[in-house]
Amino acid sequence: MIRVNNLCFSYTKKPFIENTNFEVESGEIFGFLGPSGAGKSTLQKILTGLITSYRGSVIVNGEEVRRHDNGFYENIGVDFEFPSLYEKLTARENLKFFASLYNKHRDIDKLLLSVGLINDADKKVSDFSKGMKSRLNFIKALLHDPQILFLDEPTSGLDPSSSRVMKDIILDEKTKGKTIILTTHNMYDATELCDRVAFIVDGKIRALDTPRSLIMGRGASKIAYTYLDNGREVRTEIPLCKTSEDETLSRLLRENRLLSIHSGEPTLNDIFVELTGRQLQ
Amino acid sequence: MRPIFRCFVMFLRQISKDGMLYASLAAPLLAGFAFRFGIPAAEAALCGYFGKAAILSEYYLLFDLFLAVMTPYIVCFVSSLVMLTEYDENMTSYMAVTPVGKRGYIVSRLVFPAVISIFASVIIMIIFSLTVWSAPILLITCALSSLLSIAVSLLLVSFSHNRVEGMALGKLTGIILMGLPVPFFLFSGVQYLFSILPSFWIAKLSVEDNYLYAIPALLTSFLWMWVLYGRFVKKLS
Repeated sequence: MIRVNNLCFSYTKKPFIENTNFEVESGEIFGFLGPSGAGKSTLQKILTGLITSYRGSVIVNGEEVRRHDNGFYENIGVDFEFPSLYEKLTARENLKFFASLYNKHRDIDKLLLSVGLINDADKKVSDFSKGMKSRLNFIKALLHDPQILFLDEPTSGLDPSSSRVMKDIILDEKTKGKTIILTTHNMYDATELCDRVAFIVDGKIRALDTPRSLIMGRGASKIAYTYLDNGREVRTEIPLCKTSEDETLSRLLRENRLLSIHSGEPTLNDIFVELTGRQLQ
Repeated sequence: MRPIFRCFVMFLRQISKDGMLYASLAAPLLAGFAFRFGIPAAEAALCGYFGKAAILSEYYLLFDLFLAVMTPYIVCFVSSLVMLTEYDENMTSYMAVTPVGKRGYIVSRLVFPAVISIFASVIIMIIFSLTVWSAPILLITCALSSLLSIAVSLLLVSFSHNRVEGMALGKLTGIILMGLPVPFFLFSGVQYLFSILPSFWIAKLSVEDNYLYAIPALLTSFLWMWVLYGRFVKKLS
């Protein structure tokens, strides 16, 4: 669905995005993960045709992006990080207008209902809270039922329940076979939603794999347990795969002397820090 | 074309919801009244006071030129303010990723209004002009003025980030109109120092009644538009 070969781009004379290569298959949720200013949004702008002065090849939906015509956007939905809505119009008027730009569109009321905005449909967008604007902006990207969705920080600034609703809709779109490019610096969202993630730092892809492979490839899951030894609390940590070989743990289990036991695995953030020396959030 | 027309309808809707923009569109009409009736009255008063046969009447064509440029200039200025409001609302980038596209957005916000302004300008000139214009020269002057106004708008939207900056820069863009009085006051080769300004060639065309001046007027307008469109696209990315 998306094929990027030897992509190079910079806003200045100093190299930024250099020789980037990756592919995204149809029906996949692909995440760009990185700190602010890493180049995630720039990559998204290139993929959506906002920036066409790149070198290399970027094929989206079978079309070289720099040579796209406007029909290209019939199958692409974009949700920018910051809402792009007409403040003086109501939510319904906004959606009606944007729907009118496409050959086909979904039922507006159903979309409003899906993100809990149906009761505010006739309220002016200027009266909306930040979260409401984010939700409206999100369904605007789904209006024309596009094959590819580009979502930039879709859950940023949302309360947990709204965030859950959005993530469920994203997963629902995936089950319908949509290809989704998710740009985020939220490792939890990336771990939960993405089939594969690319770590981006300073315009370069430092790692690209499934979240599970990245996590498991860098650090095995561990078990940490505590027990009393001569009145003193002792904490021990062992790899999960060595559980049966740990005599102390076996003995403590038999004697019911464990104070606590936890299993744990590194997060994407840990892997990111290990690989790049930078924090995600 | 359908998305571009829808986008243009949204542009008109935005103007209708903004009292200041709506009122601005009446400015060429008010200026027309002031020019048509105020200037001859001032001329009569001045001539009577100084005892001369003509003072302002030698420059009636210059007043007409300002009037011809004013309609497209105001229309495109209003367009620029709508575009800057949309830029503030992140709408400009969004339109670029819809079937409207970057060029379609410019067409709906600048080209359509500019084309309409040609006809409005011709009507205003027919009603309020102080001198007699031949139909072809009038049509060419109004068409070139609308091209010039598109360049002015692109200058505004490329270098301003919001409406307030746009209003401030709007005053400076008047410099582009500086070419209009040049052929009336500078007669030596010095006047060609202003040849980069399309307004200079528009004035030459009208003063000398020579259609050939439409060529440099077109070329300089397109040059300004090409450079500024590039700047605008860069701003979007």
